[in-house]
Amino acid sequence: MNLNYSDEQNMLREQVLKFCETNYDFIDREKILDSDSGYSKDNWKQFADLGWLAVPFKEDNGGFNFGPIELTVLFEEFGKALVVEPYLSSIVMSGTILEGSNHPEKSSIIEKIISGEHQASVAYAEPNIGYNFLDCHTSVSKDADVYSLNGSKSLVLNGGNANQFIVLATHDNSPALVLVEANAEGLSIQSFKTLDGQTCGELTFENVVLSSESILALGDEAESLFNKMVDLSILCISAEAVGAMTASYMKTVQYTKEREQFAQPISNFQVLQHRMVDMFIETELTKSLLIKATLQLDSDDPDAGNTISALKVQVGKAGRLVGQHAVQLHGGMGVSNEMSIGHYLKRFTAIDSMFGNTQHHINKYKAK
Amino acid sequence: MDISFSEQDLQFQEEIRAGLNGSEFPAHVREKQEKGLALSKQDMIDFHKFIHSKGWMGYNWPVEYGGTGWSPVQIYLFLNELALAQCPTILPFGLSMVGPVIYTFGNQEQKDRFLPDILEFNTWWCQGYSEPGSGSDLASLKTKAVLEGDHYIVNGSKTWTTLAQNADWIFCLVRTETTQKKQEGISFLLIDMNSPGIEVKPIITIDGDHEVNSVFFTDVKVPADQLIGEEGKGWTYAKFLLAHERFGIAGVPVVKVQLEKLKNITSDYNDADLSRKIAELEIDLEALEFTELRTLAAMADGGHPGAESSILKIRGTEIQQRLTELFVEAAGQYILPYEGPDGFKSNRTPAGPDYASPSVAQYLNYRKTSIYGGSNEIQKNIIAKAILGV
Repeated sequence: MNLNYSDEQNMLREQVLKFCETNYDFIDREKILDSDSGYSKDNWKQFADLGWLAVPFKEDNGGFNFGPIELTVLFEEFGKALVVEPYLSSIVMSGTILEGSNHPEKSSIIEKIISGEHQASVAYAEPNIGYNFLDCHTSVSKDADVYSLNGSKSLVLNGGNANQFIVLATHDNSPALVLVEANAEGLSIQSFKTLDGQTCGELTFENVVLSSESILALGDEAESLFNKMVDLSILCISAEAVGAMTASYMKTVQYTKEREQFAQPISNFQVLQHRMVDMFIETELTKSLLIKATLQLDSDDPDAGNTISALKVQVGKAGRLVGQHAVQLHGGMGVSNEMSIGHYLKRFTAIDSMFGNTQHHINKYKAK
Repeated sequence: MDISFSEQDLQFQEEIRAGLNGSEFPAHVREKQEKGLALSKQDMIDFHKFIHSKGWMGYNWPVEYGGTGWSPVQIYLFLNELALAQCPTILPFGLSMVGPVIYTFGNQEQKDRFLPDILEFNTWWCQGYSEPGSGSDLASLKTKAVLEGDHYIVNGSKTWTTLAQNADWIFCLVRTETTQKKQEGISFLLIDMNSPGIEVKPIITIDGDHEVNSVFFTDVKVPADQLIGEEGKGWTYAKFLLAHERFGIAGVPVVKVQLEKLKNITSDYNDADLSRKIAELEIDLEALEFTELRTLAAMADGGHPGAESSILKIRGTEIQQRLTELFVEAAGQYILPYEGPDGFKSNRTPAGPDYASPSVAQYLNYRKTSIYGGSNEIQKNIIAKAILGV
């Protein structure tokens, strides 16, 4: 029994922390959000130079072969600074599926992703299927030897910037994961801003022709690869949420010590103290489930799926409590868009909505 | 990072489990526990004597004083197994409260006199801390001890004294001096419950049970050699005691067993709202359990559980209380007939499931959990000060 991070993991944390301190204060972040791409290309290049884009990939593909523990370390620190670069979609989501796929050139595709030259994203959501991603209408048909893709996908993270999309579709009534170039004929992309300042895209496919290599996985293989991607993504955004919760309660404690009303710091008031304690408690409890889920995913524990659902529920509830209390205790400043604190609340709201919200995962947990 | 237990620890767990399931375990105690019936004083003595016979009584004591010298992980596993086997709680008053104070701050004579009887459960201890005017503000206590020759003369009263009706001895915080700073004039005194001038009066709690008492002291003569440590240092010892035993305070294994019962009971109720609440409770329990494991891992690593352990008290008792509410909710209108913790006076039992009546008892009784051991509000004050620094 040992819950200490290794020296290597601590070094990674230090490195990300330092990077964010130097390059990612709130003003820097605002500029990034206002840019055309919605993320910083300079930062992305630095992520590549620092080796962060190689973290989860296997050594054969030019990666460091790190696992869920290192990813949660990265994401916890990203969460503290509200980092918006498309790590989740390009590295975690696309990376998981590409590595597990049978694509003959996956090594060279991954290499381009690791170098920062290319970005990929996974198109899994659709307008009318809610969280039942596998019941999708987008379909791959085969006529003679030619595959073609028709349908539409929504909420594709970083959709306006990605060079390639991994699309979840159906083929012969079973799931398929296919790789589509962003510039493919018949694909149109509409990009939107998200509530927390990031970007997502709506993708429409009209008779997009696919080569047979671009069929990444079919049937049960596609389903299990997709579920694996979802579990790991939930883990990563949960770690991000824990980082954001930590920052939220710490910033709130600091603010209440500085803010004076009735001739004293408002941190003297017990009502506020107990609210901040509640924020701390929820953060710690979320961290506990995060570590549990991380270790279970790391060891391929069959209970990992349940723990992921438990974690997502806790993240949803705790994020709401911590985010709302942080805004409340900052008073009017809390609802001002010029202060960082409200942006944490936005991120918690976005995170809860992704890959199944609190309600969805309570039901999933219940049905286990 | 690795959360698994070692081979030796798992083997240890097996030994404990085998011991608890063995034939020496007092069968009448097990039967009452399974039915949720109240245990008598003799039942409790039989259970503790059994634990002693296995050599486990000093589970949290160092070998030097007759304890097991177990590691934090072993203690954790031991308490877990006790709960899974539906054992009664090992009474904390002698073993986890006064015992460690005596072996840490007492003199040799006191160690020789009191410790063996605690381990053998020959003496039943109770705790004399709270007073009618001193609850959360414990240091404001007024029970007075005045030294006259080789005796203290004690006057005052203690309250909420758990199972004082069964106790042979009481450890008390008493005021030996009125000082500027209220914490400074407090001393730690051991008092024989048979001393003339002690009167125990029952306090009946809202579930109808007699668990706690008022204890009145009128000119009680207490030999001065029953003072622990130095006069006026009692507050230090009291704080040591509070910090010493936070282990198991979350009550995770007990809740787990109860939660399984509730799930079995309600499995065919087709009540989506209730099953949702049960799932949410189970998720909260998972988070709490792993928080306890994080504390355990820190201790196994040589650290001390800090103020973080206040989380375990707060959230543990909240979960315990929510669980009792869910039992009551599941039983619905059949909770209405209730005559007290000992069941019904007539031979006929009223309509409704067997668990309905014990559910009410538990629901009402467990309101105490967020109040005792430092109320949950006091726990939040501790976290605010010690961790958040406000």
